[in-house]
Amino acid sequence: MMTRALLARATPVLACLGLLAVWQAASLVLNNDSFPTAIEAIRAIPSILGDKEALINILASLRRMAIGFGVAVAMSIPLGLMMGRSRTVASFFNPLLMVIYPVPKAALMPIIMLWLGVGDIAKMLVIFLGVSLPVIYHSFAGAKAVEEKMLWSGAAMGLSSAQRMTRIVLPAALPEILTGCRTGLVLALITMITSEMIARQSGAGNILFNALDMGQYDTVFAMIIIVGAMGIGLDALFERMRARLVKWSEPQFDIPVSFS
Amino acid sequence: MTALPSRSNIQTELKPARKPAAAMIEIDHVSQTFKTSGRQNHLALSDISLTIEDGAFVSILGPSGCGKSTLLYIVGGFVNPTQGLAKVRGKAITGPGPDRGPVFQEFALFPWKSVLGNVMYGPRQQGVRPAEAEAQSRALIEMVGLKGFEDFYPKELSGGMKQRVALARTLAYHPAVLLMDEPFGALDAHTRTRLQNDLLNIWERDRKTVLFVTHSVEEAVFLSDKVVMLTRSPGRIRQIVDIDLPRPRRRTELLLDPRYQKYLVDIERMFDDADENELRP
Ligand SMILES: Nc1ncnc2c1ncn2[C@@H]1O[C@H](COP(=O)(O)OP(=O)(O)OP(=O)(O)O)[C@@H](O)[C@H]1O
Ligand SMILES: [Mg+2]
Repeated sequence: MMTRALLARATPVLACLGLLAVWQAASLVLNNDSFPTAIEAIRAIPSILGDKEALINILASLRRMAIGFGVAVAMSIPLGLMMGRSRTVASFFNPLLMVIYPVPKAALMPIIMLWLGVGDIAKMLVIFLGVSLPVIYHSFAGAKAVEEKMLWSGAAMGLSSAQRMTRIVLPAALPEILTGCRTGLVLALITMITSEMIARQSGAGNILFNALDMGQYDTVFAMIIIVGAMGIGLDALFERMRARLVKWSEPQFDIPVSFS
Repeated sequence: MTALPSRSNIQTELKPARKPAAAMIEIDHVSQTFKTSGRQNHLALSDISLTIEDGAFVSILGPSGCGKSTLLYIVGGFVNPTQGLAKVRGKAITGPGPDRGPVFQEFALFPWKSVLGNVMYGPRQQGVRPAEAEAQSRALIEMVGLKGFEDFYPKELSGGMKQRVALARTLAYHPAVLLMDEPFGALDAHTRTRLQNDLLNIWERDRKTVLFVTHSVEEAVFLSDKVVMLTRSPGRIRQIVDIDLPRPRRRTELLLDPRYQKYLVDIERMFDDADENELRP
């Protein structure tokens, strides 16, 4: 049992090491200037993280991402839940969302920059748009699937329709909502970088693409590692919070005895 | 129909002394039509008229799909009848309210609440103080035989256990009318008997009005003052049988009581006759 637990913990680390090993081998074989080895890229990380300017840039990125994500979640959950419980609301918003859905949000960046400039607001708006759709969609699906008898039980206890929304629909749909938020978090990271790629001014994406322009490929790949690590870190953090919030709905992952 | 004992045949001294009962629930020419996905109209209930007195225990008996649940939902205020009117204490039912407590066939527990959290939900909503609500809820949980499971989540319970939590959750907020949809359907015979007795004890103590849906003729006769028999879909009232058996009822005594046996046989016979005479669609 002990060894299995250890193995389970070590698996993600092993996967990362494996990936780095493949990278290392590939770059040695290809021997291309614009494809540094994994070791070279990793060596460039401390100089980025040690640089105050770079750190400020990365933190600014994270701040924009947090605000864009936070506002999007705060607005999308109520909208999605209302769409899930009211046919009128759903039939009003569904076509609008269907139009926005397939548009890559970063492709809107140039237009948004025309309106709002290259500053924080434009970038946060793009992140907001990127995060909103999956959160709305999952909140919608979650609210729609709430068992009607549960709402009836609440109504019989005297809950008003607003109370039923916040005290029954919201918790009942929470597992689905959090699935949407998790997708939204990854999309926030992606739109964060792409927005900074288009509106170069500051941020992690800016460091990356400046280095690319200047041919500093080890920095480019170091940034890719840093962004990837941020993604893994945020996702792991979110997953821990999610698991705690919805432990009442998780299927139990008891390993069948026959496998041991 | 003549085979059934009428009220006058039963010795009157066996009847519990009661005030002239006021009508708690009146169902007046209620019909329910559903639109099915095939865009057809499906008649689920047809012209139901029924008065349920305050404090009466009334069972609804009928084949699957005849509209028993639908009738309960109408009284609960969850479904508006397409025709007719239902009233509670003389007032037209326009929606759900804490005076009518449903126990659904599907339990409909709140999965994010523990057993205790589910049972406390109603009293807390009604403004009962947390400590008091908790004490009452723990007592109810013990009564339905789930002591020790207070902190379990619904997903960790068996079907029968969920059903008992659902019953406790509804009892917890003291509705004047209990609307019970096959509440003992998923229980083993032993637990079922125990809960029937517990329900009768509660009922004898505070004389709630109970509308009780069941498939079981025995259960209906054992528990009820009145058994309402519905026809096969669309549900119409086939017969209302008054059960004049002394209370408090003891299962072991009733099993030997020829009057009890006669009710069972008569009701079974009526369903048999109906099946033979049933017109094929
Ligand atoms: N929402 C609905 N839409 C369409 N038809 C419905 C709906 N609810 C019930 N029905 C139909 O109404 C009829 C009565 O349903 P109901 O659930 O009241 O039956 P029941 O007597 O409770 O059956 P059971 O004993 O199996 O629980 C059924 O034929 C069912 O198909
Ligand atoms: Mg039913």
